[in-house]
Amino acid sequence: MIQSLTEEKSYTLTPGPEGTIETQTLEVSIGPQHPSTHGVFRMDVVLDGETVVKLKPVMGYLHRNHEQLAEKMAWLGSMPYTDRLDYFNSMTNNWAYALSVEKLAGIKVPERAEYIRVIVAELTRLQNHASAIGFLLQDLGAWGTPLLYAFREREKILDLFEAVSGSRMMCNYMRFGGVRVDFDDKTLAAAREITTRFPKFLDEFEKLLTENEVLLARCQKIGILPRELAINSSITGPMARASGVEYDVRKVDKYGVYGRFDFRIPLGDVGDVYDRYYIRVLEMRESVKILEQALHNIPQGPHIAPEVKLRNFKIPNGDGYGRIEAPKGELGFYLVSAGDGKQPHRYHVRPPSFINLTILEDMCLGQKVADVIIILGSVDIVLGEVDR
Amino acid sequence: MGFLGKGLLEGMAVTARNFIGSYFDKDRLVTIQYPEERMELPENSRTFPFLVYDGTPEHLRCTACKICETECPPQCIYIVMDRDEKGKPRQRPKVFDIDISVCMQCQICVEVCPFDAIKMDNDYEKSQYGRFNELVEHLPDLLKRNEYYQKIKPTEASEVDAKLKAEAEKKAKKAAAAKPAVAAQPTRAPAAPKPAAMPAPVPIMKIAIPDDAPFTAEQRQWLAGFLSGLGAAGGVVAAPVTPAPSQAPVPATTTAPRAVVSTPTPSETTPTAAPAGDWPWHDAGMAMAQRMDLAKDKPLADKLMAAMAQTDCHACGYDCRGYADAIASSSESDLSLCLPGEAETASMLEKLMKEAGKP
Repeated sequence: MIQSLTEEKSYTLTPGPEGTIETQTLEVSIGPQHPSTHGVFRMDVVLDGETVVKLKPVMGYLHRNHEQLAEKMAWLGSMPYTDRLDYFNSMTNNWAYALSVEKLAGIKVPERAEYIRVIVAELTRLQNHASAIGFLLQDLGAWGTPLLYAFREREKILDLFEAVSGSRMMCNYMRFGGVRVDFDDKTLAAAREITTRFPKFLDEFEKLLTENEVLLARCQKIGILPRELAINSSITGPMARASGVEYDVRKVDKYGVYGRFDFRIPLGDVGDVYDRYYIRVLEMRESVKILEQALHNIPQGPHIAPEVKLRNFKIPNGDGYGRIEAPKGELGFYLVSAGDGKQPHRYHVRPPSFINLTILEDMCLGQKVADVIIILGSVDIVLGEVDR
Repeated sequence: MGFLGKGLLEGMAVTARNFIGSYFDKDRLVTIQYPEERMELPENSRTFPFLVYDGTPEHLRCTACKICETECPPQCIYIVMDRDEKGKPRQRPKVFDIDISVCMQCQICVEVCPFDAIKMDNDYEKSQYGRFNELVEHLPDLLKRNEYYQKIKPTEASEVDAKLKAEAEKKAKKAAAAKPAVAAQPTRAPAAPKPAAMPAPVPIMKIAIPDDAPFTAEQRQWLAGFLSGLGAAGGVVAAPVTPAPSQAPVPATTTAPRAVVSTPTPSETTPTAAPAGDWPWHDAGMAMAQRMDLAKDKPLADKLMAAMAQTDCHACGYDCRGYADAIASSSESDLSLCLPGEAETASMLEKLMKEAGKP
């Protein structure tokens, strides 16, 4: 049942000029089957003319009971399901889950595995940000062109993922204590090739977009998220950094081997849609820097800790929270092991897409209805992760 | 920034370059015209699982131990163990179904399989006209030759073959050590391409029927069941299941000369007794009653071991000996871990523990 928003009356209509007839608000339901909602997501928008006076995000159309399912199966069994959370970034989802379990079970990961994880995670970030920008431009009305340029580059990264993990998107690549398959010389060469060519693509992409007058007119000063609001509503990832919040789990936690790399955190100062676009371009350039260092320094050695069992894997009772900087923000898993320790007693995901989406109304109030679409696009959501 | 519209013009130059380049520049010409053209799949590429067999389909590696069925995250595998008319397990699946509409191609079944029996295919053209029975793959659809596996994943398959060969050789050496007084082994027919790659011989292999005897596979299986059934009924203890008299202190002895499959050349045999020779019940083709009978005067750990399914499938996390020892020493309290033994083993273990006064 759709709850009517107009009953709440928490907004005032703009009074028309003297002598004109009285106007009414219009309630519009955008989605859940709308191409601009990036999946099955619905927005109940109340409009005064073209201006948004109220917006309610409606989620849950893609709910798959992920957390409850995970509590019914062995620890390893949830690993392929994490691929399906944010299906653009299965590698980082795997890593976040593996990291949490390793933290809880006290498993030490071999150094080569840590480097491989950094490499695949940064490649994931490259393809996520490139396609996020492509989708944002799609929402702006640039039908296809930037998105397909981004997908062309993404395809090369997915080919590498397929060569190493067996699947392009549902990688299921990490295991507790390392990664499933080692990088051979051919794969490493392919990763180096991608790393050297990606800046050229970025230059071309920026030439197409960054100073484009239409993009500037549509994106600047639209959907501003103030710094205080971003902090207060737990926004993470590129969205928080575009609002000037200097927070990156890679720098804060230095998980894995991130402490060894030299890279910077780009920050925005306005917090509008344009900042959120440009922060992603800059982050891709930083990721290329990390990739260059990781591919240069990757050591020899085992790719998985040999003592970790695949089957009958048990974790001593306790709880723990592990988090990483996924391309969309802080992705964390809170796990509780109780009883015989064969499966999670409680399994909770902290999804960045979902929490970043909760601030949608504050960014959209007072904007035009056409801008709601690009504000949503600049949040960069994947409904698989929002609804779980 | 220059004049207004400079960004637009620059952007249009980029699109023009891409458009023209898409006719001759290899980097901008990325579309593959499927189905006329096909991409070469990487070796690791995976779609749905299949079952490997060596030579002929009855030599499939799967022993129906049900580890994959238990571990499969979306629970899309269904296995029923094949049994003969007396109810003895035949160490192979009667039913093996994979619902590929549920399978999420995660490869966990492949990783947990101790027999290298299930592997990932890379066939992606699986469209069907229906969405119910058409999407359930049964045992005949799943069976693929080892040569096929070699073809789609050469590196991985040769690693597996080398591993299985080493295991079989180790096993043969052990068996030879346990059974020294054995006549020279007739060489296997060259028709079976990889005899050494059989990780767990099917029950007929352990029976004293010479390889060159004129029986079909079915007749052999029947004979195997018949011989061990005869032993269980009392009277003569079946020749095949007891080791050489000097090695095992079993009540009955055997005089029949036996030909044992996978025995290496006689020069390799040594007269020392391997520990495996002490467990006459360690034969998965034997019925529970007979196994328990053989172990009836033994200590608790041996009795417990005789109650296991004897497949050494590691479904419980141990081999059959290790699981029995772990229960006997109270380090393992779960009596329901033997998957191939099913309820029969679990209830027998419970009974034995009760008899021993250990709750």
